[in-house]
Parts: sequence; structure tokens; C-alpha cells
Amino acid sequence: MFVHVPGPWSPLFGRLTLDSIPYTNPIILFAFAFSVVAGLMIVVPVLYYRKVGYLFREWLTTVDHKKIGIMYILLGLVMMFRGFVDGMMIRTQQVMADGPKSLGYLGAAHGYLPPEHFDQIYSSHGTLMIIFAVTPILTGLGNIIVPLQIGARDMAFPMMNAVSLWLTAVGAMLVMASLFIGDFSTAGWVGLAPLTEVPFSPSVGVDYWLWAIQISSIGTTLNAINMIATIVGMRAPGMRWDRLPIFTWTTLSTNIIGLTSFPILGVALALLGADRYLGTHFFTAGMGGDLMLYTNLFWIWGHPEVYFLVLPAFGIISEVIPTFAEKPLFGYITMVAATFAIAGISWTVWLHHFFTMGAGPYVNTFFSVATMLVGIPTGVKVFNWLFTLYRGRLTFTAPMLWAVGALFLLLIGGLTGMMLAIPAVNYTVHNSVFVIAHFHCMVLLIAYSIFAATGYWFPKVFGFRLDERSGKMFFYTFSLGTAVLFIAMFALGFMGETRRLDYLYDTQWMPALVTEEIGIGIYTLSCYYFAKMLYVSIRDRAKNRVGADAWGTSRTLEWLTHSPVPFYNFAVTPQVNTRDELSWRYANNVAGVRPSRFEDFHMPNNTVVPLLIGILAFGFGFGLVWRIWWMAGFSLLAIIAVVIYRSFARDPGYIVSAETLAKLEGADEPLSIITETQHLAELGMITETRHLTEAEAH
Amino acid sequence: MISSRRRSVALFSRPFLFLSALFLSGCSTVQYRLFHPADSIANVEWHYTIVDVAVMLLIILPITFMIALFLWRYRKSRNAAYDPNWSHSLSLELLMWGVPLIIVVVLGYYSYQSAMLVNPYKPSVLAKSAAADAPLQVDVVTTDWQWLFIYPQQGIATIDDLVVPQGRVVDLRLTSASVVNDFFIPQVAPMIDVMPGMRTKDAFAVNRVGNYEGYSADFSGEGFSWMQFSTRIVAPSDFASWVSQTQASPHKLDYAQFRQLARPTVNVGAKPAYFSGVDPDLFEEVYHAALQGVVYPVPAELPIPVPAKAAATQAGPARS
Amino acid sequence: MDGNIIRDGKMPPLWHYGHEEHDVISAKTFGFWLYMLSDALLFAGLFAAYAVLDHAMNMAGGPVEAQVVHPIAATWQTLAVLSSVFAYSLATVALKRGSRAGLIAGMAVAIVLGAVFIGLELADFASLVHTGATPDTSGFLSAFFVLIASHGLHMAFGLLWMLVMLVQVLRFGLSTAVVAQLLNLRLFWQFQASVWVCVYVFVYLKGTI
Repeated sequence: MFVHVPGPWSPLFGRLTLDSIPYTNPIILFAFAFSVVAGLMIVVPVLYYRKVGYLFREWLTTVDHKKIGIMYILLGLVMMFRGFVDGMMIRTQQVMADGPKSLGYLGAAHGYLPPEHFDQIYSSHGTLMIIFAVTPILTGLGNIIVPLQIGARDMAFPMMNAVSLWLTAVGAMLVMASLFIGDFSTAGWVGLAPLTEVPFSPSVGVDYWLWAIQISSIGTTLNAINMIATIVGMRAPGMRWDRLPIFTWTTLSTNIIGLTSFPILGVALALLGADRYLGTHFFTAGMGGDLMLYTNLFWIWGHPEVYFLVLPAFGIISEVIPTFAEKPLFGYITMVAATFAIAGISWTVWLHHFFTMGAGPYVNTFFSVATMLVGIPTGVKVFNWLFTLYRGRLTFTAPMLWAVGALFLLLIGGLTGMMLAIPAVNYTVHNSVFVIAHFHCMVLLIAYSIFAATGYWFPKVFGFRLDERSGKMFFYTFSLGTAVLFIAMFALGFMGETRRLDYLYDTQWMPALVTEEIGIGIYTLSCYYFAKMLYVSIRDRAKNRVGADAWGTSRTLEWLTHSPVPFYNFAVTPQVNTRDELSWRYANNVAGVRPSRFEDFHMPNNTVVPLLIGILAFGFGFGLVWRIWWMAGFSLLAIIAVVIYRSFARDPGYIVSAETLAKLEGADEPLSIITETQHLAELGMITETRHLTEAEAH
Repeated sequence: MISSRRRSVALFSRPFLFLSALFLSGCSTVQYRLFHPADSIANVEWHYTIVDVAVMLLIILPITFMIALFLWRYRKSRNAAYDPNWSHSLSLELLMWGVPLIIVVVLGYYSYQSAMLVNPYKPSVLAKSAAADAPLQVDVVTTDWQWLFIYPQQGIATIDDLVVPQGRVVDLRLTSASVVNDFFIPQVAPMIDVMPGMRTKDAFAVNRVGNYEGYSADFSGEGFSWMQFSTRIVAPSDFASWVSQTQASPHKLDYAQFRQLARPTVNVGAKPAYFSGVDPDLFEEVYHAALQGVVYPVPAELPIPVPAKAAATQAGPARS
Repeated sequence: MDGNIIRDGKMPPLWHYGHEEHDVISAKTFGFWLYMLSDALLFAGLFAAYAVLDHAMNMAGGPVEAQVVHPIAATWQTLAVLSSVFAYSLATVALKRGSRAGLIAGMAVAIVLGAVFIGLELADFASLVHTGATPDTSGFLSAFFVLIASHGLHMAFGLLWMLVMLVQVLRFGLSTAVVAQLLNLRLFWQFQASVWVCVYVFVYLKGTI
């Protein structure tokens, strides 16, 4: 019943042997050295400044939505960097491997990456960027901002929030582990059957990919439950549905998509796992399997997934543009309607990912029309942003530049998307680099929104603005790289280049490939400006301090509280009277009115349980990947035991007294998210805030 | 702020225009394969590409222009009209939902029309051209990582070389002995997936003599990059002589020999091979074998042979 | 946006004072409904896979539907799970009346009946394996076994949860947190029973036609 996989297997180590470590591969060795150095650059200062206890107490065991959000974003940025390096390696291989006369290095017939390595790199590029870079960053942003935008103290389920974070991190760690122990999938981020079945992918690569995504998807689903429950149940008094900030609306619709679509992915991967572990025949070509079932199940998740990613990006643009146009968002109600229209229609379009599978003209036409219909609410959004700009007073800060850049990318991506929606056109460009350029336009628009959001909300979280000059240089170089690379890629699509090629047979593509390489070089230069922006901003933070409203023209509730946001978010829950509450308060000169009195409030305690579940989940995943059954079994039982144990532990949290709150609010400087406990200790307020009560237990 | 805005526009537009000009100026060159259809099907695909882009540009161009205009005109420093209370307009809403809806209806109709015209199973554009001769039947089998073209009516087969006569409809049946591939000849034939345990169909008819390159558009494993095949459209007399030449080939192909051929092989340089005395039921046998669970597992180590100097100068169709 | 908010020159309240009792049970139950929505989609995916693979060409010459579905045995299973749900519902009625004894008795019966359900299912599987119908025989059997086993796994987790709650009721009595969990468990149990009804109809009854 259990599938026999080629290669050695022992009860203690499963498929793991010394040969699993690719110590003869110079590229991996270099990556390992780089990772070790980067790791040491973090670990050594932590040890030197004796911050291990601090990190454990305040960050690794936190249940505070802001800290969890920051960790999500950090995880996403690191994975985005690795995904970017993968992208660089892909581009360089392709420019070096054009034509039969192209030379081969490091054991490759052409270029420097043999196919089995190249195929892993593009698979991890896609998987990392989509699942482990963009998703965590957007999740992190939602985690930080949504409770603030609705006037809540935290998410509905703080501990579950932390569990979601650690499960996502575990997935990312599995992908990182695949770099140094074993290998990664060579079947792309989609993993179409039967290529991912054991005969065609006998190594642990597909198993790493499968469990990394499966485990982090549980985190995403739990996060979706949390966000929806928070938005529905924890809004401040007066925060009616027609007053909800637009970013919160898009987060709500995104998480409804996530909650309902991720289980389908779970089924697709579980059935593939059953094929790979139990010898079932869900997706095999023979013995009654149906490989098209995998394609359908995957893309039924896959298409809502891309809207899961893009709707928060639209929400970010909808917050940034009104702030820097000093005008309310045009067409708020139709914006919300369009968001949910997109979310709903996105369920009906999945077949456009495989028009060429031969479903016939009637079925293809249905999905073609549905795909084009989704363009209508998207167009409505573009019009609404356009009319928000109209007769506004536009300031071009770095976040505004990113938001406007995203707008232009949406136009190109939308145009090329409508081309791909026509089956007759699709039959000429399916799976070509034209498709890659199209969806990179969309993914880059998400990246642009992420950079806009980072610049926009960074001052809220940390209390000082990012450096504008280097931020704008980052924008210019990044945009130049985008233009150079993707114009060339669209051209290559029309020349007939298909995707996922380790070796390119047509030397006529060389000029375009060189152009793409220049483009990625410009992107690399933009990384320098990103790093410079962070360095200069932190160095000059005293000069760039901001108050509650960092931009002066903000409109929504999160800008009502201090920057940086204290651990309790709002001293007193605000009463919401209108949409764009802060703008109304400005207009009526009550923005500076402070609460007249303070009251005790209750906060949850930090707990090590989510971290523990994460560590055990890694053991579970790693054990399954290498077929170390005792490790997987023990980890699973331990997770169940920990959850049961936690359910018995009555954690009362702690109370912050009104007097403490008054002192904190009256202090000269607001609490910084990095130093707040130290600050509280200096002010002698730790014991007052860590006052446990049993009254909250039941 | 003004200078940074102007700077960003300049920084953007110059390389953008230069690159677009550079790449689109090559529109007329043959390397832009998709812009040079060689038969009626590719013609339809190209025609509808243009139509779709033209219709979409009706919306996209005005929007782009308006965005650029508003960005420039309503900069804070210009002190233009400022209307902070204007955020709703019913007429604009009706337009922005209505006009795209009409466009989608129009494009939806074009989508349906073109889907029927180039439907790989029964392209109605071919039905229009009254073909004098009966279609040429070709059975296609993909392995890891080669293309096998079987001519059941002629009893011959080739590897990585599809030779067809001009002016005649070619009817293809496709199946795979390994994993999913995607049959595609730019300028000639529409894409169709090639799947194990399933039979798909494709069809095309080219009226002019010429050489084209076909390949798989669906990643199928390590040897995928080398999965090209040449497509040669030849005069009917040349086709007849090629067929009889191939029928004299010393290599035979039955199912047992196919099993040898189907073992994972990377055909660097897509060297063609020719077979005679081919089992006419070979296609069906491969299909049924796949249904029974016959697979050709990919070994852990698969060294790609570096092409020798001779291979680089090998005679063959236009492959740089 | 909201018209004239300031009425009679009086500024509306800007801050909300006073504590409302945070409705723990409501929040936890709502979250659990959301989880069940995701679980419903999970079963939808499994049913879709079964529907696709429930054809002659997916049986690979192995056992067909009529040979592996045992509607009589499945009827006993249905009786077991529905009476388990009924027992738990009686337990909830006792909970409303504040009767710990009634609650514990109802839960105990529900656990026993749930265990009977799983026992019957395992026995059915064993008999199928004995006749040579295993999940790796064909695509159809893969879908058949995995769909039913997935539901069985959910039931098993539910039983474990019931045991844990039994201990918690004995230890903590009817506190807010315990009551919230008991209500969620009731939702879970009823949902699993509904899924079983779908399995019964679309797999067992349909399979005999």
C-alpha cells in the first residue's frame, strides 16, 4: 500500500542519507555560505547584546497583531529576496544558453545550470514569490492595519494569529531546507500531474513543495477566519458597514476568497500526496486516474488565489491615492461592489489557465466571457481612482509614485489579460513568455502596492518616515528595470519563445535576452537603493519623527492614534461618526480632542504555544518529506497534545489599570514597538501592567 | 516636486519609447513568428489578436491619457481647481459599468466566433476551403522527450520531423506515452495538449511550401528544452517521393521497438529518424498501454550530452 | 458623507466609554462557523473528485461501484451517527437546564455511538480490503476510500474532542469557555453528520442504482 520510491530508505532516517546534501554543487555551496554569513550577521549581534531573552519574550511568543504583522512582513521580504535571486539566476542562464553553440559551465551542457537545477530554481521562484513572499507581506499588512482601521485592540483570536504566522514560517523553512538538504520540485509552482507523480519526480523535491504549501495553507486559512471574525465582530461603535475603510473592505473580501478557496488546494495537494505516499490513482495516467482532475482542482483554487493577492493591493491603492490627492475616494459604494463582484466572478474563470486542454469551443467560450466579465469591475476601480485624482491636490511622495505606477501596470496587465482571454489568441501564446510577462505585470502591481503600503504605513508603526530621496531612487530604478525587462519579454512572446526553457534553441532571441539581462541588472541596482533607503531612514530617524498623522492629509482611523502605535492601540475606543472619520474630525477641528478619562482594559498574555506548534509542524513536514515516519507521527501527536494541553490552561491575560494608561498617554514620547517593555520597566509600570487576574479566567 | 515628477516622466518615457520602437520595429521581420501567419488558422488567430487589441485600446488609450493628464494637471503646485467634496456621480458610474459591459459583449461574440473557427477538433475555417484530397492522417506520440509522427496510411514514422504536402488538410491524433505536452507549431497549427491515456485532435492546412519549427509548450521534465521538431511543408510530388524513400528505410517500428524508443532520452539537436513497416495500430497500443499504467520512469541521473561540433553544423531545417 | 452630523451645535461623542461585556461565546462560535465553511469546501472538493472518478473508465477493470458499496452496512452507520447527534443534542438540552449529570450522560452516549460508527466503517473497509478492493487498485477506489476515510478522520477527531470536553466539564464545570467549546462541538458533530448523509446518498444509495 505504501508507495515504493527509488533510493535507500532506513527506519531511522527515512530517505535521508549523506548523499542528500549537495556538497559537490558549487552554486549551492555559495548559497550556503551566503546564508551562513547572513545568519551570523543577525545571530551574533543578538547574542552580543544579550537580546535572546528579549526576542523570545517580546517577539517569538507574542500574540500582538502588530508584532506578528511585522514578522510576517520580514519573512516575506527575506523570501522575496531569495525569489529575486532565483529570478536573476533564471535570466542569466537563459541569456547564456541561447543556441547550440552556447557554452556550458559547471557541468551544464549550456549556460551554467543543468536542467535538473534550473527546473528547481524556476519552481522555487514561483512558489516563494507567490506563497512565501507576497502572501505573508499582504497578510502582515492586513494584520497590522485592519484592527487599527476599525478601532479594535487586537484581532478576534490573538493566539491563533500567532499560530498562523508560525505555520507560514514553517512552510518557508521547508523551502529553505530543500536548498541544502535534498532538492526542490522541478515541476513548477503549479505542479501539473502526472509530472509530479513518483515515476517522473522520484526525488523528495515534490514532497518538499507539497508539504511547504500544505502547512502554510493551514496558516492562511486560520488567518482568514481571524480576519473575517475581527472585521465582522470587533469594529468600534459607530463603525457601520458603509463607513468601513476601503482597505478593510478589500481585506474582508480577500479573506472570504481565501477561506473558501484554500481548502480546494488542500484537497488537490492531499490527493497528490495520497498518490505519492499511498499509491492511489487520483492523477496517474493509467489505472483509472484522471490527470485533468488535478489541473481543474488546482486552478479552481489558483484563480481565486490571484484575486486573493490583488484585492489587498487594490485596497492599498485606494488608501494611498485619496491621502495624497486630499480628496475622498471616488465612488466608495461601487468600489466595494466592484470588489465583491471581482471576488464572486473569480470563481467562474479557472479554465482560462488551460484553454488548450481541448474542452471544446462552447466550454472555452463560457470561460472566456467570464474572464472578460471580471475585467469590468476592475475597470470600474481604475475609473474610480482616475476620478479621485480629478480636481484633487496631488503630492508625489514615494508611496504615491508606487500607487500610480501600479495603476499603469494594471492597464498593461489588463490589456494583455484580455488578449489571453480569447481562446483563439490563447492557442498561440499559452505558456509562452507572453503569459509570463502578463502575470508579472499583475504581480509587480502587487509589489508596487506593497512598496506603497510600506512607505505609507511605516511611520505609523515605527514613528518615523522613510527617507524620501532614496525611496524615490528605489522607485525609479525598479520601474526602469520593469520596463526594460518586460517589454523585451512581451516581444519574445510574440517571437514564439515558450516558458521554462533551460536551453533556448533560437539565436534570433539573443538581443531580447540581453535586454532582459540588462533589466534584471537594473533591478539589482534597485536593491541597493532599497537597502540604502532603510539605512538612511534608520540613521536619520530622529529627524523624520512624525505625530499621529504622518502625512497631514490622512483620512482613516488608524491615523488617530499615536505613531508608533502603543501596544494597546487606542487609549479609549473611538466613537465613529462617519466614513473617513479622521477627515471629518479635521474639518470640524476636533482631531486633537483627547479622551476625558481612561478605563481599565484587558490584554492577552504572550504564549510559547504557537511557536511550539510551529516547531512541531516543521518536524511533521520534514518527517513526511523524507519519509521518516517516527518523526512525522511523533510531531503530529505532540501537536495534538499541545493543543489539548493549551485548552486546559486557563490563561487570564492581564489588566492595564486606568492610572497606568493615563501615565502612558501623558508621557513625552509614545512607546516604540521595539523598546516598549524596556520603556515600561524604566517607567516602573511593568508590575502594574502585568497584574494577573483570575476573574477573567472563566 | 515638479522636477522630480518631470524627472520620473523623462526617466520612464525615454527608455520605454526607445525599447518599444526597437522591438516593434522588428514587427516586419520573420522572427516575430506570431505576426506572420502561414495558413488560414494562424491567420484567424492573428486577425482576432489585432481585433481584440484594437477594441481594448479604445478604452485603455483614453484612460492612460486621462491618468497622465490628471497627474500633471492637478499637482499641488499648479494650484488647479480643487473639489474635495466631489466623490460621486451617477452618470459616470453608468458609463463606467455600461461601456465596458458593451465591449465585453462584443469581444465575447468575437471570442465565440474565433473559437469555432480555430477549434482544434474541427476548425470551421478549414471546412470552408474545399479540400480536394482526403485529409492526411498523422498520429502523434510524445515520449520523454521526443516527438513520434506516425503516418498510418503510409506505414511510415518519423522522429522530430513532420513532413506534409502543401494544400492538404492534415488531421492529427495525439497521445503521450509519458507526461503532458502541448503540440504547437507557430504560424501553422493551434496548440493542443498531448496527454497520456487520452487522445486529442488537431488540424491544419498550409498552402505554401516552407519550413517551420514546432515544440512542446507544456513543461514535461528535464529534456523539455530539447523537444523541438521540424515541420516541412513540401510540394505534393516531393511529399510522394519522400514517402516512398522513407518506406525503404531499414528501420522498422513495432510496439516492442517503441518501448525502447520511449525510454527517457534527450534528443539534443532534435536529430530526426525514419521508420518503415510501422504497425498501423501503434497509436492505439500506446494509448491503451498508458491506460493500463505503463510508465517510463525518469532516472535520478540524466546527463545531457553536450552537442559535438558536428551536430552544430548538421544540415536540416532553418534552426540557427 | 453622513450629512449633517453635528446637531443643534452639539458635537457627537468622539470616544466610547464604558465596558461592554465581551461576548466570548458569540465570538468563538462565529469563528467556528467560518472554520466549518472551509471544511464544507474541503468536502466539496472531495465530492467533486469522487464525482469525476465515479465512471466505468476509472475502475481500471477492478471492482465496480456495486461491488464495493454496502448500503445495508452504511444504513447501520447512518443510524449510529444520527443517534449520536441526537444524544449530543439531549446533552445540550441538559446544558441549557444547567444539569451537569445530564450533559455528561448525553456526551457519554454520543461518544459510544460515534465509536460504533467508526468501528462499523473500519469493519467495512477491512472486508473490502479482504476482497482485494484497495485504494491503490483504481482511481475510482482511491476516491471512494479517501472520501469516506476523510469523513471518518473528522469523526475520530470529534470523538477525541468529546473525550477532552468530558474531562473539562468534570474539572471546570460549566464555565464560559467550556460552554463555548461544547456549543462549537455540537456544530461540528451536526455538520459531520450532514456530510455523512451526503456520503450515504451520493456514494452508497447512488452506487446501488
